[in-house]
Amino acid sequence: MRSRWIVALLAIALLNLGSPRIAQAQLIGTLQAVEAGTRADHLATVHSALSRDQVRAQFAALGVEPTKIESRIAALTDAELQTLAERMADMPAGADALAVIGIVFLVLLILEAVGVVDIFKKFP
Amino acid sequence: MSRGDRRGRPRRARGAAFGLVLLVLGGCTVRGPLLEPGQLTGLPRRVELEQTPFFRQREYQCGPAALATLLAAGGVVVRPDDLVDEVYLPGRRGSLPAEMIAATRNRGQLPYLVPESLPDVLALVASGEPVLVLQKTGAGPWPGWHYAVVVGYDLDRERVLLRSGSESRLELPLDRFLLTWERAGRYALAALEPGAVPAPAEFSRYMAGAAGLEAVGQHEAAARAYAAAANRWPEQALPHLGMANLAYARGDLAGADRLLASLIQRAPQEVAARNNRALVLLEMGCPQAARQQLTATERLAVGGPFAASLAGTRRQIDANGSSDGPACPHEVTAPLAQ
Repeated sequence: MRSRWIVALLAIALLNLGSPRIAQAQLIGTLQAVEAGTRADHLATVHSALSRDQVRAQFAALGVEPTKIESRIAALTDAELQTLAERMADMPAGADALAVIGIVFLVLLILEAVGVVDIFKKFP
Repeated sequence: MSRGDRRGRPRRARGAAFGLVLLVLGGCTVRGPLLEPGQLTGLPRRVELEQTPFFRQREYQCGPAALATLLAAGGVVVRPDDLVDEVYLPGRRGSLPAEMIAATRNRGQLPYLVPESLPDVLALVASGEPVLVLQKTGAGPWPGWHYAVVVGYDLDRERVLLRSGSESRLELPLDRFLLTWERAGRYALAALEPGAVPAPAEFSRYMAGAAGLEAVGQHEAAARAYAAAANRWPEQALPHLGMANLAYARGDLAGADRLLASLIQRAPQEVAARNNRALVLLEMGCPQAARQQLTATERLAVGGPFAASLAGTRRQIDANGSSDGPACPHEVTAPLAQ
């Protein structure tokens, strides 16, 4: 008896999945209109939901308190969220550890090559 | 290879190596000359905003400290500690520029991204607005990012005055400041009182700040900013579009329609205004009037940034009834003469 109910519920759920609500047309936002006038790449659509998820994950990884993450995301515009989602790692805030290691290695290699230092003895 | 082989190398090699290292360390891109001679004419020779408060920074937290300085200068009651949870990223030991902007909006101030040129920064300071700047300090492999607030300058002595880190009044030689600012992408931010437009403000930058306030729900601040912008730039359509959008957000359909109607009368080619008025009219129970608005602008929108929005509006109008009530407005003139 119970399984029959579950089947019925699942069937209804599936029906709902198959018929997405017709999207309500929205007013053109002021920010959208401002950005349309200043951005050349107006054809690029902003996937705000996706950016939001990515920024949420990055904030969590960077040690933002879980209770503060949502309010920090709510304070950002769609375009800012998209930029952060794509480029947060390259943005200035602190030293980029990988670049530091790379440059230090390069400098040491040059110094070694011209004989100022002698630290790569094990590598003939 | 043994050490003995190397001892005999000529000194020249060391010199060359040193030069090469300098080249690597100094390999930053420079976008055009930092300062054209004569660019700074027309500015007061010496300015200092002495009233700007100062908050000493704690370790790594120059972001909250500099932002508190900027916001408190505009009358916002805030301390660096209040801002840590809004702008500090523990994993980066720093603050992202985008979050400095967001926190400015959170306090009801209008974030104004200053054009990337020194004369623009100094002109804003001369108009009474302190400017938050990002600097890249340190040498190549050990970069350091730092936020400070420009509170003055002295052109005769070629100095910039900053609230910076633990220095309440740091005097930097103009060229040194320019180098560090240049290396950080010339990022400069002002926090403006939404009701006032400083003399050097540019329209699109001011509107980007104002519309950002609206986008995150700071409607009251946005309304003041739109009104100020409409007053300062009367020929521009966007501030009126913003006011109409705010009226709509309040649920004031008639008010939104009035604002849009008068905007369209002055600027018949404003696609966004026509589209929004069509939707407002539709909600007021006037599908025919809505269709008229949309038809008047669809041709102008082809291939433009609002094409998708207009298509959505068209679908919505077509899905609704076709007859207008008696109170619905209708344009008497032909939609567009071209």
